[in-house]
Amino acid sequence: MISQNALHHAEKCRFCWMCRHLCPVQHQTGKELNTPRAKGLLLSMVNKKAQNFDKDMAQAMYECLLCDACTNDCATGYQPPLFIREARTEAVVSETAPESVMKLIENIETTGNIFGDEKPSYGQDGTDVLVYVGEVAAIKVPEMAKNLLALLAKAGVSAKVLEKEPASGVMLGDLMGYTEEVRQQAAVCAKAINETNLPVVVLDSYDAEIMTQEYPEWDCELTNGVVTATAFVAKLLEEKRLEASVALGDVGACHDDDRLARTFHEFTPVRKIAVAAGYELREMFNHEKLAKSCGTAVSYGYMPELVARIARGRWDDLIRTDAKAMLVANPESWLCLNLCVPKGYQLVDLFGALL
Amino acid sequence: MKHILVCVKAVPVSTSVEVDGQHRLKRDGASLQWNIADESALEAAFRLTDEGGGVTVLTMGPPKLEGILTELLAKGARRAVLITDRLMAGADTRATAKVLAAAAEKLGPFDAIFCGCKAIDGETGQVPGELAAVLKLPCVSNVERIEMSGDGLIVARRIENGIQDMEVAGPVVVSFSSYSYPLRLAGILGMRRARKTVVEVLAAADLGLSPEDCGLKGSLTKVVAVEPRFPGLRRGPKETDMEAGVQRLCGILREVRR
Repeated sequence: MISQNALHHAEKCRFCWMCRHLCPVQHQTGKELNTPRAKGLLLSMVNKKAQNFDKDMAQAMYECLLCDACTNDCATGYQPPLFIREARTEAVVSETAPESVMKLIENIETTGNIFGDEKPSYGQDGTDVLVYVGEVAAIKVPEMAKNLLALLAKAGVSAKVLEKEPASGVMLGDLMGYTEEVRQQAAVCAKAINETNLPVVVLDSYDAEIMTQEYPEWDCELTNGVVTATAFVAKLLEEKRLEASVALGDVGACHDDDRLARTFHEFTPVRKIAVAAGYELREMFNHEKLAKSCGTAVSYGYMPELVARIARGRWDDLIRTDAKAMLVANPESWLCLNLCVPKGYQLVDLFGALL
Repeated sequence: MKHILVCVKAVPVSTSVEVDGQHRLKRDGASLQWNIADESALEAAFRLTDEGGGVTVLTMGPPKLEGILTELLAKGARRAVLITDRLMAGADTRATAKVLAAAAEKLGPFDAIFCGCKAIDGETGQVPGELAAVLKLPCVSNVERIEMSGDGLIVARRIENGIQDMEVAGPVVVSFSSYSYPLRLAGILGMRRARKTVVEVLAAADLGLSPEDCGLKGSLTKVVAVEPRFPGLRRGPKETDMEAGVQRLCGILREVRR
C-alpha cells in the first residue's frame, strides 16, 4: 500500500545515478539493488503488478540507513527515504519484513526501545532545561549522556531528565515507517516533555529530527522549543559559560552526523566544540552537507555486520586525512564507529573532551 | 453521531497539471492525493465516531481511485465507495452534487455528511451547498472545530470577521476548512484490516441516474477557456542575491496586485 505521493517520487527518476555514488550502503556492498534508484524501480514494478512485494524485496528496503544522502544530491528533488519508509510499512503489514527487524519491533513494544533494556534513571530534576537523552545514549552510550549532563552542570545550567523518558518514536518510525503507532509514541513523548514547561535539549539528533520535522505535522508540537545538544553547548561556549581547553596539537576530524547535517544544516557547532576541546581539525571526504553516514543504532540492530563495514568505511575516510581522532557528538555514530576503531586511532566523545 | 458520510476528492499531486481539449483536468496520468480540506472533514468524522459509530467515505473519479481508497480504509473508514462511470466525465459542481446526493440516499441514512470546503483543483467551494440543497438538508460551511452536543453538534465556523459558534441538529451537511483537523496516519492493524475490505464500486445506473443527469450533459456550466493567470510571470532572470531577489519579488507582487 504505497501512497501516490511516494510512488510519484519512486517513478520520476532521470537515471543520472548520482545516488549510486553517494549511498554508504551501496559503497560497501557494491550491489546494484542497494542503490536508492533500484529500490524505486522495484516499487514501481510492484505498482505495475510486474513483481510481488516479497521477502527479498523487503530485505532490500531495509538495506538503507535513511541517511538522505541520495535526496541531498538528487537533481530532480525526489526523496528515496520517503518511499523506502512506506515500503517498510508494507513489509511489516504483509509480514515480509526480516525476522531481525520484527524482533526489534517486538522489543520496542515491550520496553520502548530496540535493545529490550530498561533506561537508567539520572536523578536530575533541574529547572533551566530538559535534556532528552534518548534510547541509544541511555542504554548503549551512557558515558556520552553523563558527559553532556556534567558539561551543563559545569556551565551552571540546571538540567532535568525525565524519570521515565518516553521513546520519541524515531526507532519505530525507522523500522516500520510513519504509522499511527509511531504517532501515538510521539504524542506520549510530546505530552511528557510539554508538561515540564522547559525547553528541550536533545542529545541524539535522530530524536531531534522527528521532534522538529514530524511532531508538528502530527499535532503534537513541542511548545517550549527544541535545540540540539551540540548547538546548545556551542552557545554556552560563545557566552563564555564554558571555557576552551588549551590546544595540545592533537589532530582530529569531525564526523558529521547525517541527520544533524542535512536536516538541521548544523556543521559549525560541532567544530566549535572540537576546537574548544583543543583539537586541530582536518576534514574527511564527504563532510558537512554531504556527510556520509557511519550507520545507525536501528540498522546496527538488524544488520550488525553490514553496519560494521559501513563504519569501517568512515574510518578509512579518517585515515586518508592525517587526523588520529574521530570526533563525534552523536550517540548513534559513537555506537557504530566504536565497532571497529583502527589501531592507533581514537574515537572521541566531544562532550567528554570538553569537560 | 453514529454514521457519517464523508465525501472526498482526489486532486493532482503536482501543480503542473495538463488540461484536455475540453478544458478538463487530465487525471489519468497524474499522481493523485486526497484534497486537504476533505482530509480535515474525514479526521473530524473519525474523532466523532471513535467512541462508536462508523465512517463511510465516498468519492467520484477514475477506476484507479479504488486502490487509493484503501488508504482511507486503513486510517479507519468502515466502508469505502467509488462512483466511477465514463458518463460522469466533465461533471460541473451541480452534476457532481446530484450524483453524490443519489449515492448518499442509496448508502444512507447518515446522521451527517462531511465535505471539505473546497477542492484545490477546482476551487469553487460549491459542492457542499449544492449537495445539501439536493438532499434538502441544512448546510454549515467553513467549520474549523466540531464536537458532539447530545444528539446534535456544536460547530465553530470561520466567518469574515471572526469565529461563529453554532449548534446544529442532524442530519446536516458540514464543510470543513483546510488544515482544521490533520488526518491521522494509518496503523498496522488498520492496514491489515483494509486489505480484507472490498471497495464498493457504483456506476450511474446503480444510482438510478440517467445520462442526462451526469457529466457534461448534466452540467449547467461549461468551461470555455483556461489560461495561465499571470502569463510570462515565471520568465525572467534568476536572482542569486537575496536583497535583489526580495526587491524583485516585491515588484512582482505590486504588479499582480494592480
